[in-house]
Amino acid sequence: MRYIKIYLTCVRVAFSQAAAYRTDFILGNIITLLSNILFPLVTVVIYANGAEFPEWSMWEVLLIQSVFSMSTGMSAMLTQGILWTTMDHIREGSFEVVLLKPLSPLFYLTAVNFSTGSLGLFTGGLVLTIVSASNTGADAGGIPVFLLLFISGTAVLCGLDLVMAAITFKWVGNSRIPEIFDSIAEFGKYPLGIFPKPLRIFAAFVIPVAVVGFFPASALLGRLEWYMLVAVIPCALFLAFGIWLYDRMIKRYEGVGG
Amino acid sequence: MSDIITVKNLTKTYTTYRRDSGFAAALKSFFKREKVTVNAVDDISFSIEKGTVCGILGPNGAGKSTTIKMLCGALFPTSGSIDVLGFSPARDRAKYVRRIGAVFGQKSQLIFDIPPIDSFAMNKAIYGITDADYKKRLDEMTGLFDVGDVIHKPTRVLSLGERMKCEFIMSMLHSPEIVFLDEPTIGLDVIAKNKIREVISEMNRNGTTFILTTHDLEDVEQLADNVIIINHGRKVFDDTLGSLRTTLGSKKMIDLTLSKPFAGSEINGVPVIAGEDELHVSLEVDTEQRSITEFLTSLANFSDITDISVRSLPMDMIITRIYTE
Amino acid sequence: MNPVRQKFEVCKAVAFVTYKEWSAYRSHSLVSVFVGPVYFIVQYFIWSAVYGGVGTFGGMELEQTIRYFGVSALIGYLTMDFADWNLQMLVRTGKFLTFALRPVHHRFFALSQKLGHRILGFIFEFLPCFLIFLFVFRIDIIPAHIGWTLLSTALAFLMNFYVNYCIGMTAFYFVQAQGIRTVYQLLASVFSGVLIPISFFPGAVQWVMMFLPFQYTNYVTAMVWTGAESIGELGLSIPQAVLFQGIAVIATALLSEVIYRASIKRFTAVGA
Repeated sequence: MRYIKIYLTCVRVAFSQAAAYRTDFILGNIITLLSNILFPLVTVVIYANGAEFPEWSMWEVLLIQSVFSMSTGMSAMLTQGILWTTMDHIREGSFEVVLLKPLSPLFYLTAVNFSTGSLGLFTGGLVLTIVSASNTGADAGGIPVFLLLFISGTAVLCGLDLVMAAITFKWVGNSRIPEIFDSIAEFGKYPLGIFPKPLRIFAAFVIPVAVVGFFPASALLGRLEWYMLVAVIPCALFLAFGIWLYDRMIKRYEGVGG
Repeated sequence: MSDIITVKNLTKTYTTYRRDSGFAAALKSFFKREKVTVNAVDDISFSIEKGTVCGILGPNGAGKSTTIKMLCGALFPTSGSIDVLGFSPARDRAKYVRRIGAVFGQKSQLIFDIPPIDSFAMNKAIYGITDADYKKRLDEMTGLFDVGDVIHKPTRVLSLGERMKCEFIMSMLHSPEIVFLDEPTIGLDVIAKNKIREVISEMNRNGTTFILTTHDLEDVEQLADNVIIINHGRKVFDDTLGSLRTTLGSKKMIDLTLSKPFAGSEINGVPVIAGEDELHVSLEVDTEQRSITEFLTSLANFSDITDISVRSLPMDMIITRIYTE
Repeated sequence: MNPVRQKFEVCKAVAFVTYKEWSAYRSHSLVSVFVGPVYFIVQYFIWSAVYGGVGTFGGMELEQTIRYFGVSALIGYLTMDFADWNLQMLVRTGKFLTFALRPVHHRFFALSQKLGHRILGFIFEFLPCFLIFLFVFRIDIIPAHIGWTLLSTALAFLMNFYVNYCIGMTAFYFVQAQGIRTVYQLLASVFSGVLIPISFFPGAVQWVMMFLPFQYTNYVTAMVWTGAESIGELGLSIPQAVLFQGIAVIATALLSEVIYRASIKRFTAVGA
């Protein structure tokens, strides 16, 4: 209960900060949105040239990518700040500041790093999802399963943020770490069927990035398969792994520092 | 001796625009902006002799840095003329900068992640220094500063003092005839300050002319032959250090922290000149009339002191003095 | 010393120091060795699926498109540049002053820095990825016309530099020059050809792109590298494309000189 209160206070602070720097806030959000929704351009170009992903219409593919953007925006608001804050603290040797707070370090970092800068991305993704869905045979009955899969996919992205943040304890000052995980996440942006089986299994169950865009979109489109629901389990495990790894790094850091 | 630098009626005016915060104001200023003119340097003339050390003194924002930037050729004067080594610095910058050295305390030339020796080698190529000259000069400079080991460590692990010493070496490898120093000792500890001052004196004996800006009176007291004091962009003093001493006398400021309030106007014959409150008083001691030791000894029977410090007269007091005397 | 030799010595010294400076971070370059092939795999399956129903796409066959994406990534490692960021930082922190007081043109200094930095990129990014593409993925990544490819890559290297240098110089004029950089990068990510070959865009867009800097930093070189018989809807031959690229580089270099002179005047406040 105390933690929820603290979290809400931090969110409120983040929003009042955004209000104080309105112009920066709006511009920052627009730029984040634009740079994240450019890749569907490839899809538009493909269909505009009369080609296609076999068995998928343009709006269906765009739906996958819109859901992906929405999920990216959501996870960025929740956990992306942890990555950058950890990276800065480790490089400057000032991580102690975090340990001095009378809260669990991971919770503290999550709360103070609520990022309003990705609100635009989330909202933009939501709008595109609605537009794409209305251009396909999407079925409102799929919404509950969609939400379940959407939350699972966001959990994977949050888990990835934590794994990356944990890596920065070891690979100090490498601001290119996110590129590694962005490249893996690419597999979630397209119909999974275009990839060969080993990659499909990897993207569904090992690092379940397919759950970020493809699975929830399939649920909305009534193309749900049973194994997609099973993937909820590795998603939860992945987030748990991220939390465990980050926690372990903090413990080791304390060991070295003390 | 001949003048190496001649400055006549030097003036630098900046035009800035007033800015209000807020979106509406920003939009308004887009169409109509309010001009604000600032005279950073206002009609200054002076000359500096070859082989001397000249200190340019003044409080923050007085126009010291603007003056030294114009002398280096990094800024064009608004009006007036500068002649250094026969060059007009800003106009002849490309040729001129080969002949001078410059250290700007806050703006490092060293490359952060690699040892200073590698940055030096880069400047060797940029200034086209021959191998023999480079080696001789480097040995001499590292010897003077006593940084033989330091220059092989990555810059990022060096202390501020070590870094500053290396900045000096980097700007002097090409044996410039004149060296400009902007706040060379700012933020350094006493030992590093003294070392740097020592080297400046040594190089000066070998014929290098130094021009340094500072707001630390000690730099000037220990180094300068001549002193120029600038305040609000105008020259308020330009003479030898000896003359500055006579004008000011040899005065020191003593700050006392007391355990009981003190409201008197003098302590042991020395006038109380200021104080934050009755527990903190400052005294001005003229050391020509009374040595610091003698005065401090006499304080022994003044039993309510909890802390004591001795310092040079602060800049603002010096300037008020010069105006009034 | 004669001036050309002196310039060469300066360039060598600056490039060497930059190489040394960044080699502390060479493990960071290994990120590229992972990321490059992963993106390539994704592209491979996307286009294999798309070409399933059509023979050619935007005038290119599947095999050529696949090569295009591999080559485009490799060109990135050889021409990558952050002169814009660096110059903006120097101006913002006032450190540009130390360059105004050294007898070397800052643009020449920055170009030498880039050379050193890209030599590092050649060893730790380009070579490993090149070998992976060639021997693991078995794609035909060897240029068809070595001479044209080298020339075009060198031009892309310079193009990227001059464009970014111009963007960096905006810091002399605006406090918030960061925004201009972001907007350029956004446009470049679409129109440089890294995301999609420009020939996949409608003819009108291709035509407009001839007059903008973006495609000369990557797309044109990638097409030359793949040995395209005719490039885009305009059907340029390789020599024609390289000629246009050369003209673009000269124009941008001249523009950068004009802006540089104006910027230096502003920095040194001539007659202000």
